[in-house]
Amino acid sequence: MSAILTEGVIKVEGTCKTCDHCTSVCPTGAITGLLGQKHKIEFKKCLNCGQCLINCPFGRIGEVSMMDQVKAAMKDPNKYVVVQEAPAVRVALGEPFGMPVGTNVKGKMHAALRQLGFKQVYDTEFTADLTIMEEGTELINRVYNAVGAVKDEHAGPLPQFTSCCPAWIRYAEINYPKILPYLSSAKSPQQMFGAVAKTYAAQKLGVDPAKMYVVSVMPCTAKKYECERPEFISSGYKDVDAVITTRELADWIKESGIDFVNLKDEEADKLIGSSTGAATIFGVTGGVMEAALRTAYEILSGQTLPAVEFKSVRGRKPVREASVDIPIKALGGKPLTVNVAIVTGTKYAAPLIEDVLAGRSPYHFIEVMNCPGGCINGGGQPIRHDAY
Amino acid sequence: MTLFSESGGITRRQFFKGSGILLVSAVITGIFAKIGFDASAASDEYINKRIAAMYTLDEKMTLRKSHLNPEIAQIYKDFLSPGEVKPLTEKSERLLHTKYGKDIPALIEELKKPHEPGAQPGANHAA
Repeated sequence: MSAILTEGVIKVEGTCKTCDHCTSVCPTGAITGLLGQKHKIEFKKCLNCGQCLINCPFGRIGEVSMMDQVKAAMKDPNKYVVVQEAPAVRVALGEPFGMPVGTNVKGKMHAALRQLGFKQVYDTEFTADLTIMEEGTELINRVYNAVGAVKDEHAGPLPQFTSCCPAWIRYAEINYPKILPYLSSAKSPQQMFGAVAKTYAAQKLGVDPAKMYVVSVMPCTAKKYECERPEFISSGYKDVDAVITTRELADWIKESGIDFVNLKDEEADKLIGSSTGAATIFGVTGGVMEAALRTAYEILSGQTLPAVEFKSVRGRKPVREASVDIPIKALGGKPLTVNVAIVTGTKYAAPLIEDVLAGRSPYHFIEVMNCPGGCINGGGQPIRHDAY
Repeated sequence: MTLFSESGGITRRQFFKGSGILLVSAVITGIFAKIGFDASAASDEYINKRIAAMYTLDEKMTLRKSHLNPEIAQIYKDFLSPGEVKPLTEKSERLLHTKYGKDIPALIEELKKPHEPGAQPGANHAA
């Protein structure tokens, strides 16, 4: 068993300056040690989210790296290495190269990955769209079942919680096992990608799935834990072989001498590389909710959505709520008010979970993302030294 | 200085002097606290910039709804639900869905079993 599963991804280094800042950003109180004492992470509580790592003023918190495995696979002639990149990577990867914060480097990112030698440069955004199809349909079935439009005994209970964020999943498993039936059964986009790459893509490309090696570039340290979880073998192999963070990719590009800033934009490879704007916004808090509403509205109502944007779910408040009226085609156009909530920061999720378990939750769909602001502020993103 | 003299009581002048020192130090502390607060408030401006960049990218995309992605239609028609676009088929349940907590060991057992007649784990999708 991988050491990541038993010991976690995040480590406080022996040279800890004992400043106690990390304990204030940890969502679960997993870090022990008082001001003046060297700190330690208690893995039983740690979500692997890496918020302590990106916020340590002295850079004394580190993560387990899979970089060596990735480089070995790239050199191995028997491996066919493909890559996927999460939405949030493309708005932060430019920062380590001196580009202004918020520069979109999607095209340069694809070009750089091709220069590094990946056989296929795909995009996690494709499986974000696929997530909406599966998770959205699951939600529709739960809503239909609840309002009595279409009875479905397999439909889970309402509200449905999102399941993209591995830190949130681990939080729920550790602290609220009773809430698990409410979580969408849809895998995260990263794991969906691994499963379709080693089946559908391998088949279409004529590549032996046993030789295919799937690398993810993620804004997230918890994704390293997620890819090691033993249940993600539905392709018949380990679905995602290794995860590197936005920071690790930036270091690798620098080390390879690629002139990142002057790269020409390139597109992702076809087949499992195309995406829509709905997939892009998965990287920000409220984004999965908005993407799901865009699709669910059209499927439930049978009508084209008049305005694509749901501004009411946007923002940075830790808990936000919104209501959307959707005319339900299956009920002869009778409108249904769909109540949604968005949580950014798992520590704010507890009251909503308690409400659900007590049967007094007014919501149909709840999005939970661990990191404040969403994946764009994930534990694998470039560290902002200007913060101190 | 008779401020700590045992005979007790402070003069009016000493009272004003003491209050003055307290007032000035409170003002100085306040100013520093404000500077500190502004520094930390400015420091997470980068989060807003990254968020804005994501929404700008979304606005620039020609397609902005997941179900309109042509490669999504293709993967359903060619692979997940042959001939149609239908989520939650048996195949997508197996590849795209999971279980949590105590249900995981049974799921792993299930996934390790050959699920197509004659197929072995690891050669599941050779056809």
